[in-house]
Amino acid sequence: MKKVLEIGLGIVTSVGGFLEIGSITTAAQAGAAFGFQLGWSIVLGTLCIAFLVEMSGRFSAVSKHTIPDAMRERFGANFFAVPLIVMLGVSLLVLAAEIGGVAVAIEMATGISFPIWALPVAFVSWALIWRTNFSTIENGVSLLGLVTVAFAVGVAKLHPDYGAVARGFVPSLPSQDKSKYWFIAVSVLGASISPYLYYFYSSGAIEEKWDETYIGTNRAIAAIGMGFGGFLSIAVLILAAMLFHPRGISVEHYQQLPELLSGVFGRKGFWLVIASLAIACLGATLEIALSLAYLVAQGFGWNWGEDLAPRDDARFALAYTVLLLAASIFALVGADPLKLTQISMALTATSLPIGTFPFLILMNDKDYLGEHTNGHVGNAVVMFISLLSAILGVVSIPLELIGGG
Amino acid sequence: MKVNLVADVLDEQIKDSKGRQAGRVDGIVLELRDGKPPRVAYVEVGPTTLLSRFNRRLARWYSRHDRKLGKDRGVAVRIPWSRLARDGPGYVMDIDAESTPIFALEDWLRQHIVDRIPGARR
Repeated sequence: MKKVLEIGLGIVTSVGGFLEIGSITTAAQAGAAFGFQLGWSIVLGTLCIAFLVEMSGRFSAVSKHTIPDAMRERFGANFFAVPLIVMLGVSLLVLAAEIGGVAVAIEMATGISFPIWALPVAFVSWALIWRTNFSTIENGVSLLGLVTVAFAVGVAKLHPDYGAVARGFVPSLPSQDKSKYWFIAVSVLGASISPYLYYFYSSGAIEEKWDETYIGTNRAIAAIGMGFGGFLSIAVLILAAMLFHPRGISVEHYQQLPELLSGVFGRKGFWLVIASLAIACLGATLEIALSLAYLVAQGFGWNWGEDLAPRDDARFALAYTVLLLAASIFALVGADPLKLTQISMALTATSLPIGTFPFLILMNDKDYLGEHTNGHVGNAVVMFISLLSAILGVVSIPLELIGGG
Repeated sequence: MKVNLVADVLDEQIKDSKGRQAGRVDGIVLELRDGKPPRVAYVEVGPTTLLSRFNRRLARWYSRHDRKLGKDRGVAVRIPWSRLARDGPGYVMDIDAESTPIFALEDWLRQHIVDRIPGARR
């Protein structure tokens, strides 16, 4: 019974963690610009993150190591510095985008422009982490995050042609706007495969003292939770494909997002999108800030833990404080959250192999996992999709920049 | 028992006698002895040692600034090899980290910043 509850809670958490500014925006852009055609990028991204999350949970349950911890001891400080710096840099931009997302949601609700909200949003996020423990954050935000299910309800009401949706799950070449097509595909991949998600998950497994008996639980959570998260992303894509694509509307501003549901639910839909955006981005803000603080603390061997009071892990506590403050500067100076999201998602996708390849080596190391090392399928899926993301990113980011965005 | 210094010791987590995470093995110091085989004397913990693995100038810069923060600062913390034992995924030392300068930065930050913010004790 306890395990069933844990699986349920885990799934809710993963769904809450999946949909955030990146997934909502990129899925909406994909649907608006190319109808159902880019559905495959969400499917591939979801598949990859489901495997990565399963691996990171299994890794920590069996080896009692978090990922950064093992990366440093297995590959040494000099190697570890590379994924550390890349991850910090890219995720700081993602964090900035999430803070921008919450701020924009408040702007749409109040009419007061978003830069004003940057510092208050960062402060509230910081206060939540400072004052509460790991499970309160994880469970509270994710329960609220279920409001994003509204996107799926909206799709059901629109009665899309499910055959056409399914055809989009098979990759196909675009007939026009080639560079835009690939750039959006890369952003979608980056939005789905968020490295902070599996780093966070591995620290969570340690905080909650998982052992080998959790391998099955972990597998169920990863598969169902990430699957459901991907399903919601696809719902956003379908809504945009049906409401924006036929009218030739492309998603250039956040202000357009509420139309995804206001077309179906009227005024209520407007508020549902705003609530989804605010909660999902706040949840992601907390997870990314914590996840980066874990990364640094574990890499340097500091005392860490969300269940400790800040004075018992002062360096860890100050790490997330500084990161939140630094990330809020982007929205504070008025950096366009939509552009920031696109760029940070594309960079995430491009830099994926820097984190996933060493992680795969760990996942195949018997010293850490004994008999629970990876199978061929998991290795192949993660290697293939992260390599594909990186190649598409390297090719499409310059084209997109030359093309003028 | 054989221990491979780079694979099994370097960069491993160290816990102190009270179970706190007390840094990582940032460096290993061997003692060369006349007519006898070299032996492991200390492991070093701290940013000075860690930085010197990347760039000596950076390490010197750090230690110059660190020195201003109090006595025992600006040099790597050395833990005798004999005080360390294997413990689960890392190492444990039979020393309270508070009696070493390992937590100097942590303590400084706690006193000067964290404790002044409401809710630090939770």
